[in-house]
Amino acid sequence: MSLVFAALVVWAAGWWINVRLANGPSADSTVVKILVPAIFGLTVVVIWELLVQGFEVNPVILPAPSAILERLLVEGPRLWADFHQTIIKGAMSGYVIGGLAAFCVAVLADRSDFLTRGILPVGSFMAALPIVGTAPIFVKWLGSDWESKAAVVAVMVFFPILVNTVAGLRDTTVMQRDLMRTYGAGYWPTLFKLRLPAAMPFVFNGLKIATTLALIGAIVAEFFGSPTVGMGFRISTSFGQLALDMVWAEIVIAALAGSTFYGVMTLIEKRMTFWHPSQR
Amino acid sequence: MKSVLPVLTVIGAIVLFWLAAVVPMNMHLVADQAQRDGLVVMPETPVERQEYGGIGLSLRNLHLVPLTYDFVRPRLPSPQQVASEMYDTIFDKKITSKRSLVYHGWVTLAPTLLGFVIGTSLGIMLAVGIVYSRVMDRSVMPWAIVSQTIPILALAPMVIVVLGSMGIQGLFPKSLIAAYLSFFPVVVGMVKGLRAPDAMQLDLLRTYHASGAQGFWALRLPASTPYLFASLKIGISASLVGTIVAELPTGARAGFGARMLVGDQYGQPLVSWAALFAAALTAAALVGLFSMIERITLKRMGMSAA
Amino acid sequence: MKGALMTTTTNLEGIPMMKKMMMAAALATGLGGAPAFADGHANSVTLQLQWVTQAQFAGYYVALDKGFYEEEGLDVKILAGGPDIAPPQVLAGGGADAMLNWMPSALAAREKGLPVVNIAQPFKSSGLMLTCWKDTGITGPQDFKGKTIGVWFFGNEYPFLSWMSQEGISTDGGEDGVTVLKQGFNVDPLLQREADCISTMTYNEYGQVLDAGVNPDELVTFKYEEQGVATLEDGIYVLEENLADPVFEDKMVRFVRASMKGWKYAEANPEEAAGIVLDNDETGAQTEAAQVRMMGEIAKLTAGSNGALDPADFDRTVASLLAGGSDPVITKAPEGAWTHAITDKALN
Repeated sequence: MSLVFAALVVWAAGWWINVRLANGPSADSTVVKILVPAIFGLTVVVIWELLVQGFEVNPVILPAPSAILERLLVEGPRLWADFHQTIIKGAMSGYVIGGLAAFCVAVLADRSDFLTRGILPVGSFMAALPIVGTAPIFVKWLGSDWESKAAVVAVMVFFPILVNTVAGLRDTTVMQRDLMRTYGAGYWPTLFKLRLPAAMPFVFNGLKIATTLALIGAIVAEFFGSPTVGMGFRISTSFGQLALDMVWAEIVIAALAGSTFYGVMTLIEKRMTFWHPSQR
Repeated sequence: MKSVLPVLTVIGAIVLFWLAAVVPMNMHLVADQAQRDGLVVMPETPVERQEYGGIGLSLRNLHLVPLTYDFVRPRLPSPQQVASEMYDTIFDKKITSKRSLVYHGWVTLAPTLLGFVIGTSLGIMLAVGIVYSRVMDRSVMPWAIVSQTIPILALAPMVIVVLGSMGIQGLFPKSLIAAYLSFFPVVVGMVKGLRAPDAMQLDLLRTYHASGAQGFWALRLPASTPYLFASLKIGISASLVGTIVAELPTGARAGFGARMLVGDQYGQPLVSWAALFAAALTAAALVGLFSMIERITLKRMGMSAA
Repeated sequence: MKGALMTTTTNLEGIPMMKKMMMAAALATGLGGAPAFADGHANSVTLQLQWVTQAQFAGYYVALDKGFYEEEGLDVKILAGGPDIAPPQVLAGGGADAMLNWMPSALAAREKGLPVVNIAQPFKSSGLMLTCWKDTGITGPQDFKGKTIGVWFFGNEYPFLSWMSQEGISTDGGEDGVTVLKQGFNVDPLLQREADCISTMTYNEYGQVLDAGVNPDELVTFKYEEQGVATLEDGIYVLEENLADPVFEDKMVRFVRASMKGWKYAEANPEEAAGIVLDNDETGAQTEAAQVRMMGEIAKLTAGSNGALDPADFDRTVASLLAGGSDPVITKAPEGAWTHAITDKALN
């Protein structure tokens, strides 16, 4: 019971520190911006450890963070192989393929309002296809290796990127388009010099949303057939072997990979859309 | 309404492509079966046939092409196979029968709606917290984004086991997982929406000596309505996906997810495909319903849909 | 136009704080030293199956439908399993009183710190087999080298890994090893020639391969029983700590007695049993033909057993698992993993 009480104390302390930091004088500095969520996260992990130990939770149900950390350190090579298979080969390829396809379709649709009105509802239907249904079908078509995972990811990211790109391409004002006309610019120069740059904030919004979808898609698709390597494979097999610490270690890697990917896209966005009000 | 013709055109183009794709996709299996039934197939042995792709094999066996449209265990069912399976299980079965897609649709829909309600309420409460408390904004928001990267399929069994040990089974655990997935879009949307009023409008309310609560109800909440609807549409779709995912760790007993799984496992692809399409159609119908509600509500509030 | 487009679709997650708070609350109320009965009632039994409702579990459904459990004064609830359910975990969480599991998986769970005990063994023989295309040229286990073989995992991989280890074939792929594929839940990898061999159960997937139109003489099969590497399959397991409670022990005795009565009835009346299973199938996707066939094959596996575990079979399974070479399923011979206490009382 004392451990449980300690958990409550840690929670209160962490909250108090964060309140002081967030409302203090240096609240807007980068250091504090990173520190606050970090402290929050650390607090949760410590509470988790204390509660698991305090209630003597069976590790078969929920392992303690210390066990997970140990597994992370011990199984480095295996975790890297899984990461390579799922993220780099599966999720990344699907992301690029789906993104390029969505981009091309958006530019095509942009030329014709008819096409736009037709594609968007159909695209939203495609986005609503549950992954539990599409994954086995793609595995049936493309085999168990990374290709089927890339296909699942491509389908999942297609619609968000498409919708955002279409919206972005429309987001120029009449005055801006008239200006290009006064310069004698045809469709393609206008596209490259005005509309595509103007569309960048929206495009990046779509790309950022797609990063997490890509990750989840690749992992879940591996539940339905895979070679004996991969994060989804490891999660489902370890779960079956009741090695819950490995399951959580993979989850941690997934969270790290996803956040890093998202962070990288945000950085690229900052560089490419520095002129947009939201970045200033 | 003016979208009907473009949508139909695009759907028509897709169906045409689908019809063409059925042939190469099914040709290998059809060739194997045709050979057992005594028809002539080129090349003769299955191992040699593996050397050819679907299109190559089809060109060599044009007499087998019609068979690909009616194959019992297709890799890619033809549109009419899927349509007739759907018609059969939706209209030709009693609604209360286990073989009716309508029955399974309801089994999936109930936790979806409940989960959506739970997720939306929690999402709005959290958004209010994030907008009004700097601590929550700084500490919770980044983790909310990180949490999106955790695959729910890995966590769902643990949630179900824990709830099961407390004796909570059936509708509620599935709703919880559905809520888990529909939560986040609502938070993001409402945070953006609650922050939508600009400085001038907020100042105006201050000149009226409006308290924080009054400002919330009179300005922030109404201003967030367009964002709220955008999030609700995403949220209901996510809730449906969450329910289907939740059907796996709860024994795949009934519902669209169960049909997809059992159909896939027992060699009945048509059952799987019909359930897949029915799920997507259900999501589309729900989103359409919300769009209608959005149009009516915003018109009454004097705002056009953003 | 102000950022009104937030089109995200599937699989978006919720807030970790809320989730962890809920989990903490749930753990506190649900697991902290709470008694491991599903509900604490002296006549109530919850059984967790290993997979979805099918004739593999006919004995229990028959006992339920024909009133055998009622005769013993038991109120039994049968929970179907599925791809994302690990029965040992459900047992650990107190969501069931008893579970069905294959012995290798149960012994591995014991080593992981979950003391499960076998109280009955309705399945005498193993139905696991590898089904291969004959034209791959495979005639014996040593021909597996360089081939691709599908394995299910989730508890079913132990017999295969043990067998390969005993044959001296690595499972890491390449010319001299076997490339292992994690099979999905169907026989497509074989039909579409992605794998040269797949894992099948005599009572389910093998029949599906035949249903897909394949002739038996196009195939070459290897039954684990005939290869001498079979392990015990569906057995009834409970948590060790519960067995110490006389009330629990008593209801398990009644449960096993009625379940075995159900099994013997199902063996004698396969069509009726298949019908009962179909009635209990909530998905409505199972077909009568497949279930009747399954029941017929299952009857062959349960035929040699009256429910009591044969210690010789247990020792053989353990020996097979321990011979697993570099990556053994279990590292030492388990003690106290089974008991005759229940079956002695139930069957005499």
